[in-house]
Amino acid sequence: MERQSEKARHRSSFYAAVYSEIEEVGWESLVRSEEDLTALTFRISDKKGETHFVDISLPQTYPQYPPSISADVPYNCDLHWSKTSRLKDVLEQFSKHVDSLQEFWSTINHIDRTLCVIHPNISSRSAPIHQINLGNECHLLLSVNPYKPRSLPKCRFLGPDNGLVDLMIKKWKKNSHKWNNSKTISENFTTLLEITFPGPSNVNAMEEDDKEIECGICYAQHLPVDDELKRHSGAQPDYICDNSNCNRVFHTICLKDWLRSITTTRRSFDILFGNCPYCSDPVAVKVNDNNH
Amino acid sequence: MTSSSSPSRKTLSKIATNRLQKELMEWQLDPPCGFTHRVSDNLYRWIIDVIGAPSTLYAGETYQLQVDFSDHYPMDAPQVIFLHPAPLHPHIYSNGHICLDILYDSWSPAMTVGSVCISILSMLSSSTAKQRPADNDRYVKNCRNGRSPKETRWWFHDDKV
Repeated sequence: MERQSEKARHRSSFYAAVYSEIEEVGWESLVRSEEDLTALTFRISDKKGETHFVDISLPQTYPQYPPSISADVPYNCDLHWSKTSRLKDVLEQFSKHVDSLQEFWSTINHIDRTLCVIHPNISSRSAPIHQINLGNECHLLLSVNPYKPRSLPKCRFLGPDNGLVDLMIKKWKKNSHKWNNSKTISENFTTLLEITFPGPSNVNAMEEDDKEIECGICYAQHLPVDDELKRHSGAQPDYICDNSNCNRVFHTICLKDWLRSITTTRRSFDILFGNCPYCSDPVAVKVNDNNH
Repeated sequence: MTSSSSPSRKTLSKIATNRLQKELMEWQLDPPCGFTHRVSDNLYRWIIDVIGAPSTLYAGETYQLQVDFSDHYPMDAPQVIFLHPAPLHPHIYSNGHICLDILYDSWSPAMTVGSVCISILSMLSSSTAKQRPADNDRYVKNCRNGRSPKETRWWFHDDKV
């Protein structure tokens, strides 16, 4: 009994303390809270007028033990916590942290504005990695250092096996000492790689369309360009699953190759019968259609 | 029968490379929760750190998956094994081989490295006992010469664990 009342006393002093600390910050900044006040979300504005939300969770032992915070930032700030610290101090420290991140965000904004970023909706305020379309099916995964946003970023070049990517990696390695922190990222890229990057244009809209016509097996829109594939060389998907809920598209060659590689496929004359890899509805392809 | 419409090894590897690059990009932009891909230049061998899900028998433990792709990916399933030490699980042998149907008979090109990883994590998460399969010693002895799990004729115990 006694222990229970002690617990209740402890709870009520916890509520009273947290209430008065929220009061200090201002109730208008509180966006949400758990009923037991162990999780609070506050809104703050940075010097550019952007709104940031910060989730604060309070341990049962608060304020002996510090709260933990999380927010949409590339890295969290280290909380300095002492016996006299209050929620107000937490938010002040977070505010300072947000201010120190302004350079990172302006770098990211610059990338979004000047380069052809793919999936910009995935890039949030916390994401340091951006996928950039360099044209000719080459892509660059660019990882900005949130601590030193203007310094040489980590880069990974991806693309078809035609020498372009190797060339870029070579140039990147050769010229990386020319990176200049006082220049913008796009200026630096032009100097280092000796090419001009495609701008943002409407490539993102194009990419969305591409997604729908990529083959569900090889993930490419065009088959490799290769004499050996004869009339299929560089071809676009030409088979569509009949199931209207699926409607996945495939290259006949890919679908045939898949059906041939499993044992459940049946064959009648020159037609292979099997199932769509996505919806399992029946599919059928001709075995030899390239001789005509 | 002519098989001139079957792509050759060279073309297949182009198809596999293209698809793996796209999967890698997707992964880097939006990695599945609980997994870290260790960056390397080898597109055909991925080493992935797996962290046991909270409030499961493997909570907080880290294991490594080795995923190898052939030139015939995604027609061929990737070969997926746990590197030593493999987690103690009724469907995971001490040599790292995993008894999971989607890695063998039930593979389909609609799956991805990410979806395979998630299946493996859910297999770990639903385990109720940390123990090896009953036939562990016999199986591991049979694999001593470095046999791939894909050469095993698997018989899938049950889908409860």
